[in-house]
Formats: sequence, C-alpha cells, structure tokens
Amino acid sequence: MNDGRGAVEQVRGAFARAIMEIGVVHGVPMLRLRTQDVPAVARYVHTDPGLRGSLSLLWVVDHRPREARHELCYLFTLAERKDWLLLSVDLTQGEREFASITPMVHAAKWYEREIRDLFGLIPVGHPDMRRLVRHEHWPKGSHPLNKDFAWDQVLERAQGEYAFRKIHGEGVFEVPVGPIHAGIIEPGHFRFSVAGEPILQLEVRHFWKHRGIEKLFEQQRLTDAVPLAERVSGDTSVGHSLAYCQAVETLLGIAVPPRARYLRSLFLELERLHNHLGDVGAICNDTAYALAHAHCGRLKEQLMQLNDRLTESRFLRGVNTVGGVAMDLSGAQLAHVDAELHTIEQEFGGIEKILFANASLTERLENTGVLSERIAWDHAVMGVVGRASGIDRDLRRDRPFAAYHECQPKVAVYRYGDVRARMRVRLDEVHDSIRLIHALRRQLPMGPVITGPVKTPEPGQWALSAVEGWRGEILYVVMAGEEGRIHRCKVRDPSFVHWPAIQWAALGNIVPDFPLINKSFNLSYAGNDL
Amino acid sequence: MYAMVQLVLIVVQFVMLLALAPFIVGVIRKVKARLQCRRGAGLLQPYADLAKLFRKQPVRSSTTSWIFTAAPYIVFASTVAAGLLMPVFLSHTPLNFAGNIIALVYLLALGTFFLILAGLDAGSAFGGMGSSREAIVATLAEPAMMLSILAIALTAGSTNLSTIVHQSALLEGVVLAPPAHLMALAAMFIVTLAETGRVPVDNPATHLELTMIHEAMLLEYSGRYLALMEWAAGIKLLVFLTLIVNVFAPWGIATSVAPLALVTGTAVYVVKVAGLAVVIGVIESMFAKLRLFRVPELLGAAFILALLALVFFYTLRG
Repeated sequence: MNDGRGAVEQVRGAFARAIMEIGVVHGVPMLRLRTQDVPAVARYVHTDPGLRGSLSLLWVVDHRPREARHELCYLFTLAERKDWLLLSVDLTQGEREFASITPMVHAAKWYEREIRDLFGLIPVGHPDMRRLVRHEHWPKGSHPLNKDFAWDQVLERAQGEYAFRKIHGEGVFEVPVGPIHAGIIEPGHFRFSVAGEPILQLEVRHFWKHRGIEKLFEQQRLTDAVPLAERVSGDTSVGHSLAYCQAVETLLGIAVPPRARYLRSLFLELERLHNHLGDVGAICNDTAYALAHAHCGRLKEQLMQLNDRLTESRFLRGVNTVGGVAMDLSGAQLAHVDAELHTIEQEFGGIEKILFANASLTERLENTGVLSERIAWDHAVMGVVGRASGIDRDLRRDRPFAAYHECQPKVAVYRYGDVRARMRVRLDEVHDSIRLIHALRRQLPMGPVITGPVKTPEPGQWALSAVEGWRGEILYVVMAGEEGRIHRCKVRDPSFVHWPAIQWAALGNIVPDFPLINKSFNLSYAGNDL
Repeated sequence: MYAMVQLVLIVVQFVMLLALAPFIVGVIRKVKARLQCRRGAGLLQPYADLAKLFRKQPVRSSTTSWIFTAAPYIVFASTVAAGLLMPVFLSHTPLNFAGNIIALVYLLALGTFFLILAGLDAGSAFGGMGSSREAIVATLAEPAMMLSILAIALTAGSTNLSTIVHQSALLEGVVLAPPAHLMALAAMFIVTLAETGRVPVDNPATHLELTMIHEAMLLEYSGRYLALMEWAAGIKLLVFLTLIVNVFAPWGIATSVAPLALVTGTAVYVVKVAGLAVVIGVIESMFAKLRLFRVPELLGAAFILALLALVFFYTLRG
C-alpha cells in the first residue's frame, strides 16, 4: 500500500496541524482529524488533482457503553491511485454538532442527513436539513442507532409533513407517483414538477420500508448474521453476504481457502448474470418492445433454475458463510454450468443482434436520461451506472477480492451516460461474466471450501469490506463488540448513492420516458431504505 | 317486408360489432404471445374479462361529477352508433341515410371528447396527463383520417360510406388510382394505430402510469364502467379495421341481401378483420413505442400521405 502512504504524506504536507494521528486499519490508511478541520481536508482530498477522492462512505459509530464518544468516518476512493483514504473525527460526550462537508463534497448529502436521523448528530452548514430516513411520523428525538435506543421499542406516531421542493410558475404542476404503484414494484415516492411533459424537477422520497437492518445486526453475533445480510436486498443476496463475510473474516483472522474464493466469484457472477439479463429485458419492455422482454425473461428463468439446481435457492441464498462457502460444487455440476451457460450465451447473442438491429428501440434509448460524467463524479456514482457515464471503476479490478486476482474482468466503460449506454454496459458484462465463469471453472483449485476462525476480535476492532455486486460497490463496515457480538454494522448498497443521481438524469426528459430511465438504473429500494 | 329485413340487418350488424370486438382484441394478444414463445391466454379471454367486470361493483371517487358516470355510456353509444353508419358485411348498410363519413368521424370524436373529460374529472395527475396526450393524438389523427377517406370518396364521387363501398366492391379488385389508393391506405392504417392506442403510439399492455395515454384516462374506472370503456375501445378498434377493409378492399362484401351473399360476405369480413388484427399483433411485436413527442411526426407523415393521395388522384386523372 505504498500509494496509500503517498496520499497520507501529501495530505499531511498540506494540513500538518489538522492531523492528530495517522494509522492503518487492515491496509486502509487512516487520518484522525480535529473536528473543525474536516471540511477543509475533505475538500482538499476531493478536489486535489493528484488525489481526486470520491466519497465512498460516511458512517458513524456510537462507542457507548465502552467510551462516551461518536466517531465519524469518511472513506474516500482516490480515483488517481485506485486506493482508499479514511478520515475520522471524534465527537465526545455532549457534542451534537459536526461541520457538514456537503457544500464541498456533494456526495455527502444523503449520508449526513441519514446520520442526523439515525444518531441525532447535526451537520452544521448542510443545505438540506429535512428528514431523510425518519419519516415525519417518527416522534422527535428518536434516533435508533444510538446505543440508548432499545431495538424492540414501539414508537408513538407523531404528526408532521414533509416539505417538497416547490417550483412556482405559470403552467407548472406537480405529479406525485407512488409509494403505491400499479405494478409489482417496491414502494418509493417520486414527485415530478412538470411544465407540460418536460420534467423541471424530480424529487425522490424513499425510506418507506425502513426495517432497522443496521440495528438488527447489532443484536446478532458476528458469525450468525449472514442470513440477515442476504436479505438486505433480495436480488443481491450473494453480493451482500459476501461483503459481510469478508469483513467478519478479516476480524476473525480467517484466510478463506482458495477453492471457496473461486466459488464465491462464480456465484457472484451467476448473480450478476441473471440480474443483468432481467434488466436488459425490462428496459426493452418499458419501450413496449415486449418481444425482447419475453426472451430475456426466459433466459433469466433458465439461470435461476440453474441456481436452484446448484444451491437449492433461486437467489443463491445460503451460499456464503463465514469462513468460506456452505456448499461445494461437484465436477459434474460444474460441467453442467458450463454447458448451460454455453447455450444461454448463444441464445443471448441472437437477442443482442435483434436489439442492435431494431432502430425504433435504439431511437428510444439514445439520449434518454443522460447522466453526465461530471454529475456522476459529483455524486460519487459507480457500478453499472457509473461505467455508463465514463467513471472507470470496478472493485473486481481495482481492489480484487475473492478470486479476481487470478481471473480479471474486462471492464466495460461507455461515455454517453444515456439509457443505451447503461444497457450496453450490461450486455458487455453478461458476456464477460460468462467468460469469467468458464475461466473460474478451468482454474478452480481443489481443497476444502471452509475454514474456522483463528482469533476472537477485541471489542472495538473493525473491518471494511467491498464487493462489486451487479449494481455496483457494496460496502460493509463491521465492528466487533463484546463476546463476539456485532457492535456496529454499516451497510451501503450502491442504490443509496444512485437514487440522488437519478434525480439529475431525469431532468429535461419528458414524463413518459422516466420509467425507462428508472429501469435503466434499476435501483433497490430495500437496499436503500435499510 | 322490406322494413323488416332492414331492421333485422341493423340488429345483426349491431350484435356482430358487439360480439366480434373482444375476439379481435383476443387475436392481437394471442399473436403477440405466440411471437414471444408464450402460450398466451385463450381467444375468448377478453369475453371472460368483460363478464367479470360487469359483475363487479364499481367504485366511484367522491371528487367526480356526473361526467364520470355518464362518460362510459356516451363513449360506448357513440362508438356503436359510428359502427352502425358504415357497411360491415353488406355494402348498403340500412342506416346509411343517417350519416356519411363526416358524421362517423365526429361520432368517434364525441366519444374521444367525453373520454378526455372523464380522464380529467377525477382530478388525478395521471388522468390529466392521459387526457392531454389523447387530445394531442386525436387532433392530429383526425385530419389525416378525413383526408385519407376523402381520397377514396373522390373516386366514388360521394361521402356516403355505403356508396363508396358499394361502388368499389362492384369493381371486383380493380383499383382506379393505385398510388393514391395505397397512400390513403397507409395513412388510414397509421391513424388506426394512433386512434386505438396501439404500439408504436401507446402501449395497451403497460402498467406504467407515467407512459400511458388511453389507459391513464381509465385508471379511475372499475366494474361495469370499466367494462363499458374497454368494450367501447374494442369496438372502436373494430370500427377502424372495418373501415380499412371495406373502404380499401371491399371485395367479397355482400352487395345484395341474397342469403348466400350475406353469408359469404360475413365470412369474408371476419377473415379480413382477423387478418388485419394479426398484422397489428406482428407490428406490436416488431417495434418499440415511439417517444411521445415523435408521435406528432408519425401522424404528420400520415397526413402528408393522405394529402399526396388526394393530389395524385387529381393529377393522374389529368
């Protein structure tokens, strides 16, 4: 991690007096700062051309009862060095205010509002102080992630109204959509301000299905919470459980056996495959091109049945476990996967030809819902959406995990940022996932698939883990508590980052094109609401 | 005796329009399903859907006025009346004295007008959006439709549909001005897709409220009101398909009330209309829906085609 140290040296050179302590946590360089210096340092890390830090995660830990302090941690991904840099700051007892970095680092916008709702800490200088996670019916002063908030208490119902941003003017009217929809979709509210058909403003109002996932993690033991992680967002079972397992394995000092690492990559690619296929079909369906939808749906179903035959779960649940994978695949099963994927790729090639040849479809997808590279960068967008807007980021290549050191993906990057680019990233990734699965099978080492823990972590030790799921970067921070329990688990699904960005992608488009734009992002509501 | 026969013919035409409309909808759905490698619902499914809706209790929003409850009846009645003005299986339809092609167009427009009002009546955002979009489509489709039928009317020298159909039918396949004829047909076909809410203008199968045109106006309807609206939409589709087959290719239609002619005329008509439904099903499977603001361009093209058909008609006659 020489590059990481270089970044630390650079920041220290610029802000010698602001830094109280320099450390490294599981390979991530960490700077402990004075409270008042955070905005200046964050701005420097974000804007300096040699660092270009993109805010990947902002989380808070309530250290009570061991220590009476809240710790804020800012994780930056340095675009130029493909490395992480962590800034941290303490709020000791009684301090409830911290300086907002949102005016400098736009991507902090939702994180800081989330912190205010869940911990009651106030981001001073934040331009938008409305509630985000806690809807207005939550009573005042209820901040569930504080340690003095009992996880099973029933809250009273308060009154209140959320103030949407208003646009005034002749002929401007609002179109409210959701949270209950006509189709089988998760709950989310979209408020359009329109003048005729063009969208002047879109505001998303989510968090209707807050389940208290992070609080629930705190009731679990480190080794027991995999099923909970699998259910954060049902369509990303492998991505979330893998990210959780990796963090716990770091804490427990487990070196996962090579065969298990390969199988994890294989399952992650299987998950990417069936989701991408479904998305390509769904994008076509929203243009009323039902033919492609039907055929993509058929292939997706084939893949899910393959999942079912391999693991007895269509969504690949129960595959990952702390220490490895819960099931091994036999040679016959692997050969079956190979054969099945071979036919699927052939059929998919046929569908792809039809898609590219259909001018009426291309006409709908091109220039629709453009997310410019600049806006994508400002919102720290990554994953499929980012790669379609020219953000060349893929954790499988940049911070390899599981078996991606040995089997490297080809990263598909497009620059136009429209619906078509997002579809093309998916089309390319379907082919690449199939290639990767074939490669993983060929190189699959023999040996055990699970191993036991080496040590028990000290309370307060924590680990960070990142997985490139099919949507994008899934981040988990797991901190150990007393007796092998979880003290804090921060979950970050890429949807939390992309929902604010979709508000920008919709601007200037017409109302009937929004479902198409939304489908090309295909974000999770559950993974966002937590 | 003559009056009796005419009355029976009117009743038969009335029943036929009502009975055949759901079947045509079923055919289109079936074709689409087969092209997607699905088995699809049976051809009689639309009948079952209507029967189910008629049995259900309608729910009425408290913010609606009398327009909301009256609209389904007006839409249904005006559409059926339009269907009675045109020749279906017999070239001289008994009610041809009651109105010509212009009356037919305006009967359909009356239905559309009340549909638009009904969409606005409940005050929901989606209904309003659907209504405003329908208004754009309807105003642009109407002139193209008028012009394209007028191009054929000029050949016959009359705006009375029965006269037009009867004269063309007697020619037995000879088209006087083929280029004009084909262009007017193309214009009429585009108008049909637009007016009846089919792909590429609207998507009758979508659940996405934001993209809807026709369905958005019906969102507040339930029970027998919804059944009437859906049935009327099916009849409107059938009216347009009938116009196409009988105005542009009436060969085989009964030109007299002889029983044999009537039977073959009916059979030929059903086959032709079902064939056209298959064509629509195939088109819906081949194309994506147009961006909303491209719809005026498509309808503009239909208008130009119809206009060219008129010009060709005059120039070719010298």
